[in-house]
Amino acid sequence: MAIVQLSTLILALLGCPLFIVISALALLSFFSVGIDISVVIIEMSRLADTPLLLSLPLFIFAGTMLSESGAPQRILRLSNVLLGWMPGGLAVVSLAVCAVFTAFTGASGVTIFALGGLLFPALIKDRYSENFSLGLITSSGSLGLLFPPSLPLILYGVISETRIDHLFLAGILPGILMLVLLVLYSMKKGPDEKFRKKNYGRQDMYSVLKKSAWELPLPFIVLGGIYGGFLVVGEAAAVTAFYVLIVETCIYRDISFRQLPKIMVQSMMLFGGILVVLAASMASTNFLVDREIPMKIFDFMGNYISDKYTFLLLLNLFLLVVGSMLDIFSALVLVVPLIVPIATAYDVNLIHLGIIFLTNLQIGYCTPPVGLNLFLASYRFERPVLQLYRATLPFLALLFVTLIIITYFPLLSLYFVQLWG
Amino acid sequence: MIKIVEVLEDGFLCVLLIAMLSLACLQIVLRQFFSGGFLWAEPLLRYLVLWGGFFGAVVATRKGKHIAIDVASYLLPDTVKYWLKLLIDIFSITVAAVLSWAAINFVRNEALLGGQDLLTIPSWCWTLIFPIAFSLIFLHCVIALVQDVLKLAGSPHYHRNSGG
Repeated sequence: MAIVQLSTLILALLGCPLFIVISALALLSFFSVGIDISVVIIEMSRLADTPLLLSLPLFIFAGTMLSESGAPQRILRLSNVLLGWMPGGLAVVSLAVCAVFTAFTGASGVTIFALGGLLFPALIKDRYSENFSLGLITSSGSLGLLFPPSLPLILYGVISETRIDHLFLAGILPGILMLVLLVLYSMKKGPDEKFRKKNYGRQDMYSVLKKSAWELPLPFIVLGGIYGGFLVVGEAAAVTAFYVLIVETCIYRDISFRQLPKIMVQSMMLFGGILVVLAASMASTNFLVDREIPMKIFDFMGNYISDKYTFLLLLNLFLLVVGSMLDIFSALVLVVPLIVPIATAYDVNLIHLGIIFLTNLQIGYCTPPVGLNLFLASYRFERPVLQLYRATLPFLALLFVTLIIITYFPLLSLYFVQLWG
Repeated sequence: MIKIVEVLEDGFLCVLLIAMLSLACLQIVLRQFFSGGFLWAEPLLRYLVLWGGFFGAVVATRKGKHIAIDVASYLLPDTVKYWLKLLIDIFSITVAAVLSWAAINFVRNEALLGGQDLLTIPSWCWTLIFPIAFSLIFLHCVIALVQDVLKLAGSPHYHRNSGG
């Protein structure tokens, strides 16, 4: 039996769809202990008891519409006028835009594809070095994961059964810290010349604000709705999706009604992909939890590790590896249910744990050898992966610094939660 | 024939998403302005999410867009990849078949035990999504296998109509 399970895992590494692999493991596990395998479906059907799930398809739909529309160009133009005057202006603009965009579209390759294509030539034209530009775009591809309403944050909340509105609050300060560090670095590395002053007058300011006027309220709708107590997270997702639908089809007319079915299918496909992995892992991880595997790991670890900070250090190393192998959704779905009991035993706050998780997975995205963003960027900009490894290194180093701060200063994540939660 | 299935699947998916979105918005309006709402809306929404998600997975199978670890495709030579693809196809077919069978058993048990009705439809009907989705996934895996075999055989009739 162990051999069968092992070869199943190898199939996963060779590119077999993860939900097939995980379902197979679940089926095999239950079968091997003589339990009727329809239990696997019972576990999957428990997904219907998760009311928060509704927010996933709706936020995905809103995000897909935004990335298919002219929103990326509009945000870019707006931030250019608002932030372009700073030293390292364009780099700062890139970071800010990528962060906002990723928060709304979820950390898939969308940011690199939708914005990278606009930002990369612009950065080169502004005489940033090629490696700096590549590294910047690759590492900002997943920046913004910690800002609401990012999908991975919601998914973590769904799986770990923590409050999503608390998670949203917890991500803000760590996310800002990460942004600030990267911005400072970019200012330092900006082109040497006395940065050409791009003077935008009031006229430009007015015109870009007017152009983006309909998209600017989005963050306020989400956050205001939730923290003003008008909406729960699922409803905020519905309002966001509805608002984006109206704005992009009827006001900006970036998306025609003929395109809409394709976008709908695309978003539901993405959601479906996540949902079946989630469903399959409900079954397989429940098997492991029933067998008390996490507690056994904890007991075993307890022999060597007594304090929570050593545990967190190990967790970070483990998650970085996981993050560079798996995409963020499957990583969350597979690892969170197993780590949560262990982390609770080590007295780690689950909200704080969530932020640590996401930071790690975000960094994992651009960690050699197999971080997904590296390959996406290599494909998109037609540069060898090795060059991207080198180009991202300084940014990775900065992200690591943030990770350490986030891990060892829980207050950074928990301050807003304590203040407003 | 396959084309019709595609259009039906895509259409159904859109209907589910539109239903989800409208119902969720309607609930908000009813609550905010009329301090009311339908009791059945909440559970119905959850089923819609489940149906939408699993149907999305069916379409993802058809288009080969499932989440997978994609290291091998960068490292292996093309010929190995084709054979590997066949192996993965066969494995997926087997797992999907077992899942469909388990799902049918599950629905049968549900029908015997009987859960809570929703909108006068008995609960086992709502769980029909599991056998439906898994058998469609099975079907698409079989189609993918046939197409991959044809591709490997270098048949001149080979064409792939789903682009993935």
